[in-house]
Amino acid sequence: MSAGTAELHYRFPPAQAYRLNRCLYAIKSDPAFRARYRADAVAAMDEAGLALPERAALTAGDRDALVALGAHPYLVFMADLRVKMDGGAGSFEYF
Amino acid sequence: MLVGAFACAHTPQLLARPETEDRDLVLRVHAAFGRVRARLAALRVDAIAVVAGDHVEAFFLDRVPALAVYVGVEAAGAFGHYRYRFPIHEPLARAVLDQGIERGFDLLYTQDAPLDYAFFVPLHFTMPEPPVPLVPLHVNVYLPPQPTPRRCYEWGRALGEILRARPERIAVMASGGLSHFPGTDRYASPDFDFDRRLLDMLAAGRGHELAAITAEELDKAGNVELRTWITVLGAVGAAPADVYCYEPSWHHGNAVVEWPL
Repeated sequence: MSAGTAELHYRFPPAQAYRLNRCLYAIKSDPAFRARYRADAVAAMDEAGLALPERAALTAGDRDALVALGAHPYLVFMADLRVKMDGGAGSFEYF
Repeated sequence: MLVGAFACAHTPQLLARPETEDRDLVLRVHAAFGRVRARLAALRVDAIAVVAGDHVEAFFLDRVPALAVYVGVEAAGAFGHYRYRFPIHEPLARAVLDQGIERGFDLLYTQDAPLDYAFFVPLHFTMPEPPVPLVPLHVNVYLPPQPTPRRCYEWGRALGEILRARPERIAVMASGGLSHFPGTDRYASPDFDFDRRLLDMLAAGRGHELAAITAEELDKAGNVELRTWITVLGAVGAAPADVYCYEPSWHHGNAVVEWPL
């Protein structure tokens, strides 16, 4: 990482985190994968080919750990939100 | 011809209305969107060129365009339970693509990419009746390295020239902003002071100065999406902005503006 970019909120996603970001993207944007993830997160993470630290961070919902592993913060944020939107429609559109 | 220019927040909570939000604030932003909708109707627009930053929806890390034009017959997408579909003004989209390329902008084009909620949220509230077709224009805002603000401004200037030479009555609309930090520990503390200085500049017709802002400054201020506004500023030049609203929520500086032309 070049000097001066470490403090940026949105950084170039490192290539070694591609599968992690691909998994977060699928949770966010692929309704079929998101349904599989909600039904069986372990199997979905197997399918996505995540490494052990990635699986632990995602399972714990640990944003800082995910970002430290190279996850894009927006993908972490919206993957989580879309899982919640699927799971609790009652908490949305309350006015 | 270019008859209208606008910029709108696309905060998803304005659409999804979860109980985390201040109801009155959301409704005030809706009222500002309603003014845009009335203006678009009064301007009798034939098409809306929407400049938005895809939220890693159509374009993931397997292909990351800096600038893109949707030239399909229509563009569709989904967000939550919303399913949306808009016709594309294909002759106009083709003109923007062809003339943009001719002017040296190496635009990606797509005939089939999904349309992100960055496009949908403002259109949900501002599309006049009867609806008009779109020219969706993507600017990469979230996947570094993004196009420089100066490049966005130059693209906007070219876009404005292309649109002014067309026979249709066209509005251009930026979608995005203002300060917010989704997915970071600053989510609950946007830079509202930056936003207020910015809106003062725009109201004074000094928006062109934003061409000189740096990528680092935009990131630091939670305004990576301002690239869409800077693109529209390239098209409107020194026209002063009419700020319809600025509504800072706990996570987002919600602004709606028009540049009367």
